Amino acid sequence: MAVLINKNTNVIVQGITGSMGATHARLMKAYGTKIVAGVTPGKGGQDFEGTPVFDTVYEATKNFRVDCSVIFVPPYFALDAALEAIEAGVPLVSVITEGLPPQDAVKLHAAARANGTLVNGPNCPGIITPDECLVGIHPGSIYKRGKVGLISRSGTLTYEIGLGLKQADIGISTAIGIGGDPIIGIDQIKSLELFQNDPETEMIILVGEIGGSAEEEAAEYIKSNVKKPVVGYVAGVTAPPGKRMGHAGAIIAGNKGTAKSKREAFEAANVKVADTPYEIIDLVKQELAILA
Amino acid sequence: MRLFEFEAKELFRELGIPTPQGTIIRCAEEVFSIPAKSFPKTLKTQVLSGGRGKAGGIKFADNQEDAYQKAQAIFKLPIKGELPKTILVEPKVTIKKEIYLAILIDRAFKGPILMGSAEGGVEIESSENIQIVPVPGANYSSFLGRELGAKLGLQGSQLIKFAALVDKLWQVWIKFDCDLAEINPLIIDGDDNFIALDGKVTLNEDATGRHPRFAGQLAAHLSDLGDREFRGKMCGLNIVELEGNIGILCNGAGLTMATMDLVLHKGGKPSNFLDVGGGANKDHVKRALDLVSSSEDVKVLLVNILGGITACDEVAAALAYYKELRPDAKMVVRLVGNNEAKAKEIMDRAGIPMTNVLEKAVEEAVSLAAKA
Repeated sequence: MAVLINKNTNVIVQGITGSMGATHARLMKAYGTKIVAGVTPGKGGQDFEGTPVFDTVYEATKNFRVDCSVIFVPPYFALDAALEAIEAGVPLVSVITEGLPPQDAVKLHAAARANGTLVNGPNCPGIITPDECLVGIHPGSIYKRGKVGLISRSGTLTYEIGLGLKQADIGISTAIGIGGDPIIGIDQIKSLELFQNDPETEMIILVGEIGGSAEEEAAEYIKSNVKKPVVGYVAGVTAPPGKRMGHAGAIIAGNKGTAKSKREAFEAANVKVADTPYEIIDLVKQELAILA
Repeated sequence: MRLFEFEAKELFRELGIPTPQGTIIRCAEEVFSIPAKSFPKTLKTQVLSGGRGKAGGIKFADNQEDAYQKAQAIFKLPIKGELPKTILVEPKVTIKKEIYLAILIDRAFKGPILMGSAEGGVEIESSENIQIVPVPGANYSSFLGRELGAKLGLQGSQLIKFAALVDKLWQVWIKFDCDLAEINPLIIDGDDNFIALDGKVTLNEDATGRHPRFAGQLAAHLSDLGDREFRGKMCGLNIVELEGNIGILCNGAGLTMATMDLVLHKGGKPSNFLDVGGGANKDHVKRALDLVSSSEDVKVLLVNILGGITACDEVAAALAYYKELRPDAKMVVRLVGNNEAKAKEIMDRAGIPMTNVLEKAVEEAVSLAAKA
C-alpha cells in the first residue's frame, strides 16, 4: 500500500523548465513517476520532452487529474507557487526548495491548514515509494521496496540509511523526507500516523536532528498512538548551542533542542535509539526478526 | 543577520516607534561635538553580543570630559571578543516602568507570537512572568496587541499606547522579514510616553536577499563569528567551528552532523561542520577544502560524500588538485554514489586511497589524528 504516493499518482512539476526542475523531472520520469504536466509561467504551450507545459496550475488541473505537485522554484517565489497549487485544489504539494524565508513558510502552512492540503517540506528531498513513484530528488536506486517506513528531516543522511538497508536486503514502504526547516508541513507526527495506518508498513525508522521540539512531541505521540516498533536516531550530538548546522531548523536555542533531550524522549517512548547510522540497520534487523 | 542597537532603533523610528534621540560616535573625541548643555548622557557600546551592561559597556556621563574618559574605556573594552566600532550616546531618560516586548516565530505553534513581560529590563529567560499571545496564520490585528497589554496589567491610556506600539513593532517585524524584533526595555517615561530604550532586531538570513537596503552589509554584522565561519559566510560555505583536529567535509546537513557524531563516537574530535551542499562543482569543493584546512588545528581531513545530485568525480578532481598542492596532507576519503567509478579512477591516479564504507573512513581518520 505505502503512503502518500504510488504508481497511480499523477504528478505535475512546477518549475519544470528551470535547471533543477528539468533535471529532476527527467530523473523522476525515468524512475516511473507519472508526470502528467509541468507548470512554468510564460512557457505555457511548450513541450518538455513529451510533457505538456502550462502557464498555471489551474490549467494543468483542467487537463489532467492532478494528485500531487512538486515544486522546484527559487526561494522567493516558492510560496507563490505553493499557494497556487493549494488554491487549484492539488491535495499533496511537495516543496523541494531550500531557503524560504520563515515568514513565507508561516503563510504557506496557514494556507495548507485552511485548505486541508498536505504540504511536504519545504527544504526537503521529497517522498519515494520504491518501484512505484518518486516525488522529489531521492536517488531512486538507493532504495528497495519493503515493510519499513522511513521518516527523516535530512536528505543525504536518509540516502545513507536507505543504502544501508538495501545492502542488508531490507526494503522500505515509503520514505518521507519531511525537510530541514523549522516550519514544515507534514511533520514527524503526521508521518507516524500515516505509517501506523498503513497495512504494508510493519515498523518505522524516525531520523531526527537537533533544534526544535518535534522529536519530543513525536515521542509523546508514539506513546499513545503508535503500536508498530520504532527505531530512532538523532544527529547533532556534536553541535554547539546557538549555531545553525546547515539546516535552518538545526539550531540549539539555549538548552532546548539538544540531541540528548531528543534521545531521552525517544527512549522514554520505547523507541530503540541507534548511536550511529549503521546501527539503525542492526536495530531494524532485530525488530524485523521479532515481528517475523 | 543581527543588527546593532542603533540600527534596530533606526528601523523602529522609520515605523513610528519612539526612541531616545541618540548620536553615534566613532571615537571618544567626538563627545566634544555634542553640546555640553545636553548632558548627562548614556554611553552604550555597539557590539552584537548581549550582557553589555554587566560587562561594563553601558555608562552614564555627567559632562563632556566624563564622557571622553568613559568612551575611551568603552572603545577598548572587548565583550565576548568583540570590540565596538561605534558608541551610541543618548540622553538619560526618566523611567517610570519597564516592559519587555518581542515578536518572534514559535516553532511549535508554526507561526509568530507576541511576547511580553511586565518585568522589562532583565534577562528575559530568567523572568517568570512571560505572557504570550499567538498570531494565528500571521493575521495580525490590533486587538492582539491589546490582549497582550491587558495580560501585562496595563490599563487606560497606557493600554492604548502600548497596543499602538505593538502594531508598529509588528510592522517592523513584517516589513524587514525579522526572526526577532525585541524591545527590552520598552519604558514609560515621566510624561507617560512609551519609548524603546533598547532595540534588538535579527533579520532572517534567508530573507535578506530580498531586501536591497541590506545588500552587502552581511560582513559588517558577523563580528561574533570565528575566522573560518566568517570566511565561509563570505563565499557561501556552511561552516561551523568546533575544537578538534579532524576537519570534516560532507554533503547534506544531517549527514555532516552524523559524520561528526561518528568521529566523536569513535574517540576523535571534529574540528568543524561543513556542508558543501548539493551538486557542488570542483571549484566549490576546492574552496571548501582550503577553508577547512586553514585552521592549524586540523591534522586530518575526513571527506564523506554520498552523491545523489553531487557528482563524486567532481569531488575527486578537487581532492586530486588539493593533494598536488599539499602532498603531505592527510586525507581520508569516503565517496559513494553518483559517478563513483569515475571518482575511483581519479583517486587511484592521484594516489589517494578511497573507501565507500563510512565506518572504515571514520575509524581511519580517528586513528591518523591520534598519531599526529
